Amino acid sequence: MDNQLYKEDMISSLLHRKVKSNSPYFDEITSPDGSVHPHWEKILDTFNTLGKEEMDERQLQLKRQLKENGVTYNIYGDPDGMNRPWMLDAVPMIFGEEDWNVIESGLKQRTILLNHILKDIYGKRTLIRSGHIPFELIYNHKGFLRQVDKLKIPGEQQLIQYSADLARGPNGKMWVLHDRTDAPSGAGYTFENRVAMTRVFPEMIRENQIRKINTYYETLKRTITNLAWQNKEEPRVVFLSPGSENEAYFEHAYLSSLMGFTLVSGADLTVSDGYVWLKTIKGLKKVDVIVRRVDDVFCDPLEFKMNSQLGVVGLMEAVRQQKVMLINPLGSRILENPGLMAFLPKLCRHILGEELILPSVATWWCGQAAAKQYVFDNLEKLIIRKIYSDDTSSAMYGSSLDEQQIATLKNEINMRPYLYVGQERVNFSTTPSYIDGQLASRNAVFRSYVVADTTNNSYQVMPGGLTRSSADEGTFIVSNQAGGISKDTWVPGMDKDTKSDLVPNKIPQTENVLPSSTAEKLFWLGRYVERSIFLVRLARVIIKKYYETEDNLNVEKDVVLCSLLKSFSNITLLLPGFEDKETLVNPEKELISVITDVTKAGSLNHSLQAFLRNAYAVRDRLGLDSWRILDHISEESNKLKESTRINDISYILDGLIIRLMAYHGLRVDTMTRDVSWNLQCIGSDLESSYMTCTFLKNILSKELDSETEKSLLECVLINNESLITYRYMYRSTIEFTNTLTLLLLNELNPRSVVYQITQLEKRVNRMPKTSGVQLSLIQKKLLEATTLVRLSEPNLLKKGKKKSGSRKDLILLMEKLEQLLGDASGLFISQYFNHTETTFGFVSTKIPEI
Amino acid sequence: MIYQVKHKTVYEYQSMVSLCHNIVFQVSGNNALQEINSTKCTIDPEPNFIMEREDFFENKYFYFSLQKAHKKLVVESTNEITVHPPTWLSINPAETPAWESVVKLLQSIDTSNDIRQFYLESPHVTFLTAIRAYALVSFTPNRPIMEAMHELNTRIYTDFTFTPGFTEISTPLEEVFKHKKGVCQDYAHFGLACVRSIGLSARYISGYIETIPPPGKPKLAGADASHAWMSLYIPDIGWVEFDATNNLLVSDQHIRVAKGRDFSDVVPLKGIVYSGGGQHMTVTVDVTRKN
Repeated sequence: MDNQLYKEDMISSLLHRKVKSNSPYFDEITSPDGSVHPHWEKILDTFNTLGKEEMDERQLQLKRQLKENGVTYNIYGDPDGMNRPWMLDAVPMIFGEEDWNVIESGLKQRTILLNHILKDIYGKRTLIRSGHIPFELIYNHKGFLRQVDKLKIPGEQQLIQYSADLARGPNGKMWVLHDRTDAPSGAGYTFENRVAMTRVFPEMIRENQIRKINTYYETLKRTITNLAWQNKEEPRVVFLSPGSENEAYFEHAYLSSLMGFTLVSGADLTVSDGYVWLKTIKGLKKVDVIVRRVDDVFCDPLEFKMNSQLGVVGLMEAVRQQKVMLINPLGSRILENPGLMAFLPKLCRHILGEELILPSVATWWCGQAAAKQYVFDNLEKLIIRKIYSDDTSSAMYGSSLDEQQIATLKNEINMRPYLYVGQERVNFSTTPSYIDGQLASRNAVFRSYVVADTTNNSYQVMPGGLTRSSADEGTFIVSNQAGGISKDTWVPGMDKDTKSDLVPNKIPQTENVLPSSTAEKLFWLGRYVERSIFLVRLARVIIKKYYETEDNLNVEKDVVLCSLLKSFSNITLLLPGFEDKETLVNPEKELISVITDVTKAGSLNHSLQAFLRNAYAVRDRLGLDSWRILDHISEESNKLKESTRINDISYILDGLIIRLMAYHGLRVDTMTRDVSWNLQCIGSDLESSYMTCTFLKNILSKELDSETEKSLLECVLINNESLITYRYMYRSTIEFTNTLTLLLLNELNPRSVVYQITQLEKRVNRMPKTSGVQLSLIQKKLLEATTLVRLSEPNLLKKGKKKSGSRKDLILLMEKLEQLLGDASGLFISQYFNHTETTFGFVSTKIPEI
Repeated sequence: MIYQVKHKTVYEYQSMVSLCHNIVFQVSGNNALQEINSTKCTIDPEPNFIMEREDFFENKYFYFSLQKAHKKLVVESTNEITVHPPTWLSINPAETPAWESVVKLLQSIDTSNDIRQFYLESPHVTFLTAIRAYALVSFTPNRPIMEAMHELNTRIYTDFTFTPGFTEISTPLEEVFKHKKGVCQDYAHFGLACVRSIGLSARYISGYIETIPPPGKPKLAGADASHAWMSLYIPDIGWVEFDATNNLLVSDQHIRVAKGRDFSDVVPLKGIVYSGGGQHMTVTVDVTRKN
């Protein structure tokens, strides 16, 4: 295709379609006279010069970049909704310099104003007493927390983080749609978007002098660190997330690791003696600051929602004791109150003596009779909202209600007028999006980020933010949950502070602590990766044998294949499985199910899923390359779920083993030899030594005729990745004693049981100690296991019982080893992960009836 | 009148509890109607951390946490209190202002928010058209507020059957109204819903009441329980207390502990324990007259 010709097309076709469609929305790129704004023109020109092919390629690069960085979000209520890839449009949102100056000063003013109101609401409440804010608007709001009344954090700034959702209305003015004051989200995605855009469009960012967004993160970190009540030199800061099921868990992991804060969930923290403690593998550590992404009333079940499992019991008392600082402080959700918007212009004049720079979307609070009447008279033009949002309330479009619904709504408003507002429907402006190879107009909303800078008592606005546009033309729904697409946001101009790098410097953390729950996940990650590798190998050996078997119709006569199949059932504990004669005669269905069925606990795919789940939960501790491999494994696991033919499965398993080994290899090669690494290795060594014992116990349980045994032993060696070693060492035919010696006793073979348990001993010795100079119980169990193995005599274990051929001594030895390893695992878990109180969840005590 | 109140709560757990956090509203405060002569709260096992605080509604409460393993927790509070007869006993209800004028006064920003906040809904007190209609039967146009309240109090007493065990704390008011059965906190919540839904301010009161034994029989220890009633705001008089469970205008037999919007603000004892098993709770309250 002629690039030059096409170039003409991209913009002009967009403009042409715009004129034709007679779009009712304000457009970001054109002036009312139809000319393109200069700050857009240059950038759109560059897109034009790149041409369609190159643009397609760059869009793909963006997708790849984000995918490989593991940028995901979770969709609620959808079983396949976990870890969805994050969508980023190649076309950014661009604000002109003058335009931006208004937005920036408007946001600063609004934050100062809201901060003032917040202080008053939990202080003297003079604004309410004087009637500047109707008291029903505050006292009826679920975000008005009476428990935090009169509590203050040091300094004048109580509102630390603030976000506003902004959109441009048909008149070209920016309007605030929502205020976010409880736990604003999205700053992590914003950073990732910028990283991806910088990779894919480096020349554009440079040439257009796009302002950097780093200072925001640096200020945020400095402010958070400065705010601690105690331990001001080196405060311990944790980032409290609801957990890996949360919509934005990626962001929680990403931001906490960017800032060097420990990522925790409620169960990682405990309150005693009025302090908040982080449970770590080295015992309890005092916490000074909690950056929270858990909603206000979920933070302390003792004082707020008694059934919340996301919070920390007793947290409020620690706050009152000034032992811990919460950011944002509890209670700030009172400002997420659309009713307040109706009063902001007057409040701004009253408090600051200024006009409100950024208007809110036009709002009528039904608590005032005249406003209520207006809302009733103009229902079809308005959106009806409650003054607080929770699970039971969502916005209603007056125009989409039928008569019956209108009557019900009016009734409800009449009953509780003060709970409702009517808001004008703003037709957001359109920006170009790169969709299906051309520029198309989509409506967009921009989320801004403001942070308190406590060093000079000011507020700082990020020169950029998160823009989201609708997936379909003419709609205004931009949420990720509904398929909206994100955009980077560019503000051309000079940075005041030019020295900052793209990636904010990590301020060294007090001490790299490992929360016990994270430690536990790393341990299980190690176990499940090893288990998955073992099962994939075994499945591959079985499938190969299954294809080779001479008599496909009489599988049950193939002793080797049968032994392998039975051992698969015994290892996965999916019994009776192949121990059932009928199943063995016709093994294909069961074989597919033990490999693919995620709903069967113990199956290969179940083990893969457990591996992935643990890996995603500790993703902040794994490197980027690991994330990439995890995504591939996740894809393979999903493919496996759908597979119904042995042939397809075999193909997927070939890919899987490589990816699993790659993960394994990365761990060996790239992970720092710290406690995270050690824990994964302990899990792996425990699992592989245990699996080998179980496997040997099952597969070698009977003495067979020498030919069959040889063939079986070959499979065992293949499965253990030791066939080549065997050939190299013995240069003889495969036989029992040598095989067992190699797999059990050979101190140099990394696949032998003795080698793995010895490694395990070394790694356990590296863990923080609680006992004195004596061996711990765990060490004693492992010492007993290695001694038992070392003292064993493979040639004496060979002989089976006269009649049955059963190798009783071998079975006894393996069972004893299984037991010792199992005990060691249990002891390890209880010593390092279980701080007694988390063994169970917590419950509220019965409340006395009166 | 001087009373001694012993309030004892015993929790027994099936399995060991390693950590618990609790909040206790069992300590009375001084006010125009009562004076505290002595107050004591003992907790067994002894808490690792205990702190006395005041809440949003100016009630005193304790927070405590306990970190040693235990299977039994005993919280016992002992208060000696002198209760004075309230001034409202001498008020002629017919001379109190018309209830609508009180509603109007409450709407005005000249009335303090501390009073106005009690005409709003709260977690256990929700507005229902039917309950409002029930209230309006007594609150007829221009009727003196105290007279109307007296009648409402008596109607609740007559229409409802005191039925321990029928309701739980979570039973919605709608259900209570439908069956007209419940315990004193249901009576109080219902009364509050009636008057708040027509725009009057009223508070929930938790405390104790002296139960007078039948003539000639000794007063049974432990027969009493903690109690709840409501108070209505009447300008120039203040918060006037009514006990619908006993069809009473409160005199000097009620001992107040805490006030709030409803039960949820002043739960006598609530806690969170880390434990796997079940639990058993017993509460005993003894109110003895000292003079």
